[in-house]
Amino acid sequence: MFEALQYFSISWVSPELMFLTALGTFLGIYVGAIPGLSVTMAVSILISFTFSWDVNSALCLMVGVYMGGVYGGSRTAILLNIPGAPSAIATALDGYPLAQQGKAGEAIGLSTVMSVIGGFVGIIVLAVAAPHVSDFALTFQPRDYLLLGLLGILLVGSLSGGNMAKGLFAGAFGILIGTVGLDPLTAEERFTYGVVELWSGINPIAVMIGLFGITEALSQLHHMDKVAVKQRIDRLIPKWGDVKKYLPLSLRSSAIGVGVGSLPGVGGDIAALMAYDQAKRSTKNPEVEFGKGAKEGLVAPESANNAAVGGAYIPMLTLGIPGDAVTAVFIGALFIHGLNPGPMLMIERPEMFWFTVGNLTLANIFVLIFGLTGIRLFSKIVECPKGILIPVIFLLSIVGAYSINNSIADVWWMLGFGMLGYFFKMYGVPVGPIILGVILSRLIDDNWRRAIMSERGDLSNFFINMISSPLSATLLLAIILILLSQTPIWKKVFKPKNT
Amino acid sequence: MKKTIISAIAAIAFSSAALADYPTKDIQGIIQWGAGGSTDTVMRAITPHVEKELGKSIILSNRTGGVGVIATRFVESRRADGYTLLLGAENPQMYKVLGLADIDYNDMIPVNIIARGTPIFVAHNDAPFNTMTEFVEYAKANPGKVRTGSTGAGGLTSIVLAMLDSQVKVDLTTIPYDGDGPALTALQGGTIDIMPAVLGAAIEHIRAGRLKAIGLVDVEANDLLPGVAPIVDEIPGFSSYLPWGPFFGVFVKNGTPDSVVETLTNAYSKGAEHPDFVDLINGRGFTMMNISGDEARQFLDSYRSVSSWLVHDAGFSKNSPEEFGIPRPNN
Repeated sequence: MFEALQYFSISWVSPELMFLTALGTFLGIYVGAIPGLSVTMAVSILISFTFSWDVNSALCLMVGVYMGGVYGGSRTAILLNIPGAPSAIATALDGYPLAQQGKAGEAIGLSTVMSVIGGFVGIIVLAVAAPHVSDFALTFQPRDYLLLGLLGILLVGSLSGGNMAKGLFAGAFGILIGTVGLDPLTAEERFTYGVVELWSGINPIAVMIGLFGITEALSQLHHMDKVAVKQRIDRLIPKWGDVKKYLPLSLRSSAIGVGVGSLPGVGGDIAALMAYDQAKRSTKNPEVEFGKGAKEGLVAPESANNAAVGGAYIPMLTLGIPGDAVTAVFIGALFIHGLNPGPMLMIERPEMFWFTVGNLTLANIFVLIFGLTGIRLFSKIVECPKGILIPVIFLLSIVGAYSINNSIADVWWMLGFGMLGYFFKMYGVPVGPIILGVILSRLIDDNWRRAIMSERGDLSNFFINMISSPLSATLLLAIILILLSQTPIWKKVFKPKNT
Repeated sequence: MKKTIISAIAAIAFSSAALADYPTKDIQGIIQWGAGGSTDTVMRAITPHVEKELGKSIILSNRTGGVGVIATRFVESRRADGYTLLLGAENPQMYKVLGLADIDYNDMIPVNIIARGTPIFVAHNDAPFNTMTEFVEYAKANPGKVRTGSTGAGGLTSIVLAMLDSQVKVDLTTIPYDGDGPALTALQGGTIDIMPAVLGAAIEHIRAGRLKAIGLVDVEANDLLPGVAPIVDEIPGFSSYLPWGPFFGVFVKNGTPDSVVETLTNAYSKGAEHPDFVDLINGRGFTMMNISGDEARQFLDSYRSVSSWLVHDAGFSKNSPEEFGIPRPNN
């Protein structure tokens, strides 16, 4: 125990390591905020950059970038409606309306505090229960991932803004976009029309930047005459009462974040969206409607995506299996520094585990400090005259799309989807479900086929196993309950009496 | 005195660089596979040592997708001036027979084949077999019951399974995965029972007792896997294909000037000798090769001929190797 504490505090007692963690977190927030500049990319670049450094120093910088980056994605989501990363998509849904009502500062403040709470929940679970959680995560079979994906698809209902038919159309369209490219299971071409550039598919981040940033900028052109709302900057740090009020929701969302984050191959983006859905279903009487600036809609995804960081570290540190793309790069970094990440790491080098836990904690504290400073300045961005703001959004979107892969093709995709999103919006088709479809497409497609292949195409076996496995049965039950709760009969029977 | 020596060395270094006139600017290194994978790790580990030799930076970027076709085509679309390097794995050698592309490494210049991996058969801990012989017996007695992972046509698993298929007929259920990482995770979770994988990817899980190695697809025993017999002891027919294994290499477009290729070859072969890098390669269970020129070409030819014909005979090639003049391996 004493040893664990000693390892935990390595980065706390060394000024150099502390500075590097702070620097990493600071850089991470800005890398995360710029759409297209991904945390994965930033950490990969840092591997080469910190190659000759001591392993602890290198890790401090990279852990800081990771923690800060996941948080930073919310900045542009709230201010400009361009999520800095897919894990901030759900944040934009209610964060941006808040900023439009002059509450950008309050939204950033709240998202910071909730991110930090989520971050801590993730770290605590990592520190206390890592081996158990990773063993549980391994029991997820393809059919469970399929059910998880279907659970995610139910979110279409939350994102449709009232018109289910149009929402379903948008979601299906997103799934279609997600299937473009070489089929990941058989390497057959799908919807590529013989164009090699389409083999690796359409980049989801390009679609996301287009549908959010460009679509919003184009629709803003209709309101050029409107003067931007004056931002209220008196209440930046959320009141204790507010934090207390949202704490149960934040903890529930964090639990979703850690759980989903710890599953190999599913990351913070899906966790944040699922947490948003959960918030919408469980909040009975929101002060403001979801999608129009509900604070619950900000609390849930922000808690979940930062909790997913701790979650992603769970299989990585205990088994050497990456929980997401960033932890995959961390595994590479450990190899390069002469360590052998794997199930033996916890036994042979226990200090690495506790050092990482301590370092994540430190980075999370820096997120709080850096997150709450400079809000005033940032919320002023929204007050910019539209004549300046709209070109800035365009520029940021183009730079962001280009920097995903240094490819001009992504810029064209981004612009194309931006235009499409604009017309969709004009005709009342919600764009949220499109990006949801793009993100979930692979998860559902791959795992449905894997599940059915492992039963050799036998549907009856597939369903028998789904019911006989406790995990699958639980997930299936959750889906059925959510679907049933939407039906008129259910609403009549279980109508809350007090409203 | 020390200073003069250093400046003298610097002067020599500079003048020789000026003579060769390469590199005068930063070089682009295109990694075929995603961040965090084996290829990515090996390439990111060797690059700083090579940069030291070249005196310029190598800017790395991952261009993934289409089993590496995207990256390969990208490098081919660039000028043959040595400023765009392809940092890749073995996959392009199968492009022609699988109909994925009309180019492979034989149409490029190998700068260095850095290292090669050894395939092994790994199984879930609870699987009712511990050796290849037991596995084959069990699979024969329970057709279709044993599930195996695959990383796509032309990937390591498909080729090793084709080798097995050429020797014994067993009916396995195959579930495809995006790479050996996700497949090995599924193996631990019991979604699949057995799969061929590269030693380096599985070794840590085997050491921890979370997976068991049941066969070593090589002609001789390996220090990292004590007690696991080479497969030729149990299934002698494998010897005609072995040694065979995936590899990592650095390539430039055909037509790159000889002097540039020479500079790069020297830099990479020196970089590969760095003790830190050698440790990384050995520790991950790879075999250091560090070969270039004709030796590298021979290795590439042999890999292509063995793998192409295996895939063709197993019936999942799109084109016959004959169409491209790929000779059958001489047993």
